[in-house]
Amino acid sequence: MSATDNMSSVRPDLIEKVTGRAEYVTDLTIPGMLHGFVVRSPAIHARIVTIDTSAARSMDGVLDVLIGEDVASFGCWGVVLKDRPILATDRVRYVGEPVAVVIAETIEIAQNAAELVDVEYDELPRATTIHEAIAEDAPLIHERHENLEDFYFKGGARPTQNSNIFHTYRNNVGDVDAAEAAAAYIHEDRFTFPAISHFAMEPHAVIADFQGDSLTVWAGAQTPTAVQKVLSRLYGLQLAKIRVIVPFVGGGFGGKASVKIEPLVAAASWKVQRPVRIAQSMAESMLTCRRLGADITIRTAVDAKGRILAKSAKLLLDGGAYSDTGSAVATKSANRIMGPYVVPNLRLEACAVYTNTVPGAAFRSIGGPQAVWAKESHMDNVAAAIGMDPAEFRLLNLVSRGERIRPDLRPLDMDMSDLMGRVTRSFASEVQASNRQARGLAVAATDPANTPISNAIIRLKIDGSILVSVSSIEVGQGAHATMGRIAAQTLKQPTSAVTVLRTDTAVAPYDWGTGASRSTVVVGLSVESAALDAADQILEMVADVWELPRENLSLVEGGVSTGSEVLTFHQIFHRALGVDSGEVIGRGAITPRSKKGALVESPLFWETSAGLAEIVVDEDTGEIHVPRYASAADVGRVINRIAAEGQDEGAAIMGLGHALYEVLEFEDGQPINATPIDYSIPRISDVPPVLDTILVENGDGPGPGGAKGMGEGAILPVAPAIANALFSTYGIRITDLPMTPEKVWRALQKRN
Amino acid sequence: MLPSPFAFERPSTIADAVSAVGESGDGMFYSGGTELLLAMKLRVIHTDRLIDIKGIPGLDRIVLNDANDIEIGARCTHNKIASDPVIREHVLALSSLCANVANVRVRSVGTIGGNLCFGEPHADPPTMLAALDARLVLNGPGGTRVVHADDFIRSELETVREPDELLTVIVFPRPTGPVTYRRFKHGERPSVNVAMAWSLAAGGRTIRSARVRVGALGSRPQPLKAIEDVIQGISVSEVRPAIEAVLPTALGELEVNEDRHGGADYKRHLAGVLLLRNAEEAIAAAGNA
Ligand SMILES: Cc1cc2nc3c(=O)[nH]c(=O)nc-3n(C[C@H](O)[C@H](O)[C@H](O)COP(=O)(O)OP(=O)(O)OC[C@H]3O[C@@H](n4cnc5c(N)ncnc54)[C@H](O)[C@@H]3O)c2cc1C
Repeated sequence: MSATDNMSSVRPDLIEKVTGRAEYVTDLTIPGMLHGFVVRSPAIHARIVTIDTSAARSMDGVLDVLIGEDVASFGCWGVVLKDRPILATDRVRYVGEPVAVVIAETIEIAQNAAELVDVEYDELPRATTIHEAIAEDAPLIHERHENLEDFYFKGGARPTQNSNIFHTYRNNVGDVDAAEAAAAYIHEDRFTFPAISHFAMEPHAVIADFQGDSLTVWAGAQTPTAVQKVLSRLYGLQLAKIRVIVPFVGGGFGGKASVKIEPLVAAASWKVQRPVRIAQSMAESMLTCRRLGADITIRTAVDAKGRILAKSAKLLLDGGAYSDTGSAVATKSANRIMGPYVVPNLRLEACAVYTNTVPGAAFRSIGGPQAVWAKESHMDNVAAAIGMDPAEFRLLNLVSRGERIRPDLRPLDMDMSDLMGRVTRSFASEVQASNRQARGLAVAATDPANTPISNAIIRLKIDGSILVSVSSIEVGQGAHATMGRIAAQTLKQPTSAVTVLRTDTAVAPYDWGTGASRSTVVVGLSVESAALDAADQILEMVADVWELPRENLSLVEGGVSTGSEVLTFHQIFHRALGVDSGEVIGRGAITPRSKKGALVESPLFWETSAGLAEIVVDEDTGEIHVPRYASAADVGRVINRIAAEGQDEGAAIMGLGHALYEVLEFEDGQPINATPIDYSIPRISDVPPVLDTILVENGDGPGPGGAKGMGEGAILPVAPAIANALFSTYGIRITDLPMTPEKVWRALQKRN
Repeated sequence: MLPSPFAFERPSTIADAVSAVGESGDGMFYSGGTELLLAMKLRVIHTDRLIDIKGIPGLDRIVLNDANDIEIGARCTHNKIASDPVIREHVLALSSLCANVANVRVRSVGTIGGNLCFGEPHADPPTMLAALDARLVLNGPGGTRVVHADDFIRSELETVREPDELLTVIVFPRPTGPVTYRRFKHGERPSVNVAMAWSLAAGGRTIRSARVRVGALGSRPQPLKAIEDVIQGISVSEVRPAIEAVLPTALGELEVNEDRHGGADYKRHLAGVLLLRNAEEAIAAAGNA
């Protein structure tokens, strides 16, 4: 096999990408296309007094300048709360908020003219942190809260009127007070977690073409059907008249989920009635969305033997200026702070609050890194306080397979002690242990909102080639290759026979979207079922035309075996249809009612991980090195090993970024490092030289062949594992991320 | 973002380059472009004309000349310096400094001249070149002048170079003792760096003189006079206690900006850590010589 064949067999898109042929939104040109450049608010919270666009408009090559007033009559949009104007109208709520769009013949002209748009602001009192936002006399960032129930996720937000709290989630089990009264020991900690940028290599880029009552949008969107729905409601267009086309996407991580700049670009096109492209820079995308920061108080009560009796957690999440999916992030953060431990009495409360900063958004394992950072650091603190080994303390309290972490959630579908054992053994197998054994462990069990709603279409052609059409987005994770494999395996055809179409909502059937580790399981099941449907049709055709018993027929490469001979697809279609052409179309639909209701209970599977870190600290500088890291996840079944390992390695290194480098900083609301020059992410030289990725396969997941979803779990244990190593060996407890050298050095100074 | 429109010229002699920039200084020299183009795209630098100096022959030479001085052409890229045999033989620390500047893309096109002329405080070469007592040769319309590395950077992003002066070559005496360099960085650029060059007396056990520079803390590299003085004339084996005795005072005299790279006390402390580590390395090197 040649190197390129080899790469193609792993993933057909790899060759396209390394040769530069793969098309992203910015590679597309639509006839008549204009360019938009966004004028952004330099103010943190202000009333817009006037916008003067005359100088910009008079520039050669400028067609128009869109301002909020032009589109105010369309109203606001949102996916959980309807809180977002297309363009700031009377008021700006964060630095970076779009205020105007200059539309011009070229990007250069648009950008030059944008410097001439003159906006006068009148500053308003601001609330730029969680604590400012929930203070007694805090200025209101939104006066009213309008909930959209079941619009994007099942359920909605629970805002507190006349406050900046746009969502509160509570879940209580048992009686925490009584349990605490009976406890041998109670320990409480507080942790904070910063805003973090998605930092996808491809910034947000959208082309919109508004034509009368129809609209076509090319976007790097992870959830094209949500984009379609929001645009339909906002502009009063039929869903069937809105087409969302998604070419390759250069990384999303949640930053391109739900809806981002699509309504704005559509408005620009509506204004000029020509196609308009807005291609943001990375710095602009850093002002578009980010992970929610958090302030977390967590308390655990244990009995004399170290068994957990009760746990309570209060999580405050910084949702930024517009809610997006921040309410779901808050809810999930509460769910993700519990397990995988047996906790008979639970008191959970999570609030998402508005602040005058960049809007929060979904980001790889929503609410997970925040919650797991707190709970797993806390676990080691509790263990230390009661004089137990942290691993033993965990083992004593783990939920076993089949037990429930909480009564309203599906029982745990894996063995966490096995994952812990695997990462520990991974280290033991290394011959040369470093002399200073600074090791830390952390585990996580999260409940992805994988929404079992998906459709797939498979077309089996006369020559045996197969077309798969789904709304899953190829965002770099390899989803399309996985769908291709599932189709090929189910239809017993070589993967080289399968083509997976880039998503176009005009062709691809409805799916919820690409996120929440759901594609392999949910979309995978719909592909499998579409393939079975296609298989059924072709076998039926043979049984009918050749008058053979169905049970003797089976699919083989290139056709159907009758037991005594192989009929090619050509022969089958030719004889059945009378001409030498044709195809069968298989349809697969997954709903909560599929699989005899097995998909109803949430989560569809538990996304789990264990991480073990070995660190070396330069005590003079405070710098942490991570020479070794082992990451284990129970993924049910691996469909594409290279892609699956890549997902978990990528997640672990993203977790390393959260742990040691990343923070999107605001000083009184002013972003101070929102450029790729000032924002630090790990480089390849920061990756632990020994990085072991272990994937546990028991074939017990709900997806095709027993697969579970994956790719979000491995991000979770990294930061607490490193922090726990720091705690056990160096005697310092860091409570806010990232663990920069200066922070570590200061903690070491304090310890001395 | 894109830079605003500009004209582009590619002269082939130093004189043409100097006159192309123009007296009004509305043109700018363009070398690797790694700082310049970025700043133009961010629209913090505006210029009407770029004068590409890559067409001028001879500006990327590295030689040990007859006066026992090392000459580095201003157009030499970090990569070129990192792998140059003359530099590797005589100032290995400069070679490894350049091998670790920035990232692979910047190293392959970014030049030492561009680094110096940009005057960014969080830079590596200026500290090292000051410790090596380098002289920078500037060619302007009125002729040539020589500026000491110590005097070249005036303040943050500002040098004594006139807009129509081209930096052509960097010259420093071939080191006669250990040269050591360390940086601390967390992120793209150094938070603090320390360079130390010793010249040893005959026999190699006594320090005849030392130059110590600390970079990235203030707007330009700063000498650690107290350290230089205390180790001058003493035996290599006495260096460590001698440095330790004056270190707190010496560090206290440094001008230190509080910035995203850390608090002043932390960075001052780091300078001491790097200095002592350099000293250990230099002591070992002197011992092996
Ligand atoms: C991502 C990144 C990371 C970096 N990290 C580091 C780091 O860790 N340490 C470090 O020291 N540096 C670092 N740098 C800076 C890097 O060393 C410089 O960008 C590079 O050396 C500049 O050289 P250039 O040829 O590209 O200069 P240019 O960008 O072409 O020019 C820079 C300036 O110098 C002027 N100029 C250039 N050459 C001459 C000349 N011969 N005479 C007169 N004027 C001239 C130009 O007009 C311009 O004003 C980093 C840069 C980047 C982009």
